[in-house]
Amino acid sequence: MSFQTCWRCLSKASDPALNPLRAPQQSWLLFPASTAPFTISASLLALPPKKKGRPAMTEKLVRGAKQTFTKKKKKPTDTNKGRKPAPGERKALRKRVVLSNTNALEVHGLQDVSAESITNDGLKGQVLGIPGPIVDRLRAVEAFKVPQGWALFRRPAMLMRKETLEFGKEMEGIAQNEEKKSIRRVYVGERGSGKTLMLLQAMTMAFLKDWVVINIPNAQDLILAQTEYAPLPSTTNPTLYTQRTYTAALLSSISRSNPILTDLQLSQPASTSDLPIPIPPNISLSRLALLGASDPETAWPIFQLLLTELKKPGRPPLTLCLDGLAHVMCNTRYISAPKYQPIHAHDFTIIKFFLDHLSGAEGLPNGGAVLAATSNSNNPVIPTLNLALSQLEGNQAVQRDPFAKYDERVLDVFNKGGVEVQRIGGITKEDARALMEYWARSGVCRQKVDEGFVGEKWSLSGGGVVGELERAVLRMRI
Amino acid sequence: MPPRIQLLQTGRSIAIRSKTSRPLSYPTPLCLRLQQKRMITADQKPLPEAEQNPGPNQEQLPHVSEEAATTGKITGEGGPEVEQGTPVQEVLKRDEKAQENAPKVMQDDAKPSAPKGTRLYSTSARRLAQTQAIINLGPAELEPSGQIYGLPELPLPSTSHIKHRYDPIIKQVTNLLMQDGKLSVAQRNMAMILERLRTAPPPTPDPRRPLLPGAPPTTHLPLNPILYLTLAIDSVAPLLRIRSQKGAAGGGVALQIPIPLGLRQRRRTAVMWILDAATKKRSKGSGRTMFAHKVADELISIAEGKSSVWEKRGGVHRLGVASRANLSFGNRRRPK
Repeated sequence: MSFQTCWRCLSKASDPALNPLRAPQQSWLLFPASTAPFTISASLLALPPKKKGRPAMTEKLVRGAKQTFTKKKKKPTDTNKGRKPAPGERKALRKRVVLSNTNALEVHGLQDVSAESITNDGLKGQVLGIPGPIVDRLRAVEAFKVPQGWALFRRPAMLMRKETLEFGKEMEGIAQNEEKKSIRRVYVGERGSGKTLMLLQAMTMAFLKDWVVINIPNAQDLILAQTEYAPLPSTTNPTLYTQRTYTAALLSSISRSNPILTDLQLSQPASTSDLPIPIPPNISLSRLALLGASDPETAWPIFQLLLTELKKPGRPPLTLCLDGLAHVMCNTRYISAPKYQPIHAHDFTIIKFFLDHLSGAEGLPNGGAVLAATSNSNNPVIPTLNLALSQLEGNQAVQRDPFAKYDERVLDVFNKGGVEVQRIGGITKEDARALMEYWARSGVCRQKVDEGFVGEKWSLSGGGVVGELERAVLRMRI
Repeated sequence: MPPRIQLLQTGRSIAIRSKTSRPLSYPTPLCLRLQQKRMITADQKPLPEAEQNPGPNQEQLPHVSEEAATTGKITGEGGPEVEQGTPVQEVLKRDEKAQENAPKVMQDDAKPSAPKGTRLYSTSARRLAQTQAIINLGPAELEPSGQIYGLPELPLPSTSHIKHRYDPIIKQVTNLLMQDGKLSVAQRNMAMILERLRTAPPPTPDPRRPLLPGAPPTTHLPLNPILYLTLAIDSVAPLLRIRSQKGAAGGGVALQIPIPLGLRQRRRTAVMWILDAATKKRSKGSGRTMFAHKVADELISIAEGKSSVWEKRGGVHRLGVASRANLSFGNRRRPK
């Protein structure tokens, strides 16, 4: 055994255990932290340092040497940096309806449409503004569509055309309890001729006259299998299907768009057997609709209850509107459970509700209007519907093809009689001129509106088809 | 005895031509040179003439006949015609000796002679204007001849031709937007771009990046979307491009030569920059309006001075200024 000896002082027994009087001495180090006190492994395993100098001549670096052709890959530009849009955000942006353009000029002297002015023949061919509260209610029923040109102008306005004033007079007649109780009408016409706008004008007038409006803005939503469906238990042959989420949304829009429902109350306490939830008596119809909107389970029974309440005597007239009639005249994308067959559109309760009122199977005791518009863009071709509408319109050229298969359920809708078909055509030159002057006063159309200009654009638009007129003056001509 | 070596004389005569003094390529200053290059023939603005010293053949004595004419003018006798030469008849009038020696034809001509016969028909032509005045003696105003909208005002506007019905810049940008030859898609995109410019809030201008001088205030722009587009494009359009010429600097180094661009070229460069910047943007929504909206947003950001296209333009201009010494290389022919 060797002793630990301090060579400086040559003192023995530096072991603190052996010599407790002295403090242990630290060994003196040149680089205390950087070098290990004792090792053999690290320095031996280290790689030799790299030689600095010219690198070895490789083929690539020889001057003038041909390089093999290699295509450099471009790095794809990553445009998707940052936060990704939330689900539904992009669609919401696409479907957003803009109703105002702050850059457009305010049109001075623009009258607003009122309950009295809808029958005033002197206003034919004039552009009238839609009052703000009505705009909110129209928005709630989704009467405004994205491709329409609302975003170009300061505020929404509409042209009083011949068909508008005719409809206003008919509404006035219904309100004054003349012999005709209800209007059941299908609007047909070319693409861009103003069928959907006609529905919007009808709804505007209905709101102005305090009618109750129920609007199905796009019938395609009901058949595309994008909203949930379930068979109605009490029905057999045919089994009916409900779309409870859609019904709840419909109830919500009814409640928001018709403030008159707050003044109307439930006439009698609802029977508890029909409804899954207890309904307080004397509840206002607006609250009732909201109750159904909040719970999709109860939406359809409450919708039925609301409808029966609205048909009680003393209630306001009812306006039902549907856009895109052809979509509800064919098989849907939904599949029936046991047979695995596509379900016909008429087996859905909301569609059936509308078509029953259109065909006259169910009446409107308080009067009202049932309006449907066909669409010429993105619509299925339904020969049966074309046949029925052409015959109702009095077009003898379209006859029943003996070899074609026709859908009897579709024909039944129109066979009961009473459905009118109104063709929306082009506007007159005077109307076109009024419209163009409104555009010019809004600062959107920069040309001089004179007879030659109006005539040219009117002809270009196929005889005053409004959508084409707008394209020709505002969009194409820039 | 060998002849002395004559160092200063050659054995045979060598044709030594004195070195012709080659004039400098541009002896006149730059400002005059630029003016002379204008191709203007209008009388209102004659080209400025450079004052130069008279050459060796100028300022000499005039021609003999010119001198005689001047003398005649001074003395009042009337010398020879300088402008068109003196007719022989006048010379004969002055010179009696010459009259005698003149040929007989000329002597006969000098004597007055009566007309020998008369023609059966009139040879005087009636003026066209007089004829028209006689015809137009009726009612002064013509009745309108069946035009519904009246006659168009002349000259017809340039946009009335079907092939030029769009603004030139709209047509150019539309064609630049086009992919795979689908013009109608490009036109729809163009319409959507302009609609976006119409409806977007007016841009807030950046004083560091001004638009073209003479531009209206930016609040006026949205209602005139074509002007908006034109201003945005023309404001960022570069004035020049840089051509790198290989070997011009020697040693295998390319020489940067600034080349001026024409109007359409400038606009094309700017639009390509804008499209590059727009495609790198992220779309916020979905649907077919997205591309048009991205381009329109880029145009708006140009008007607001935020776009990266401004930096590109500045870079090109900086390079152009740095390499302005190489300007003369741009006009030289390539060495053979």
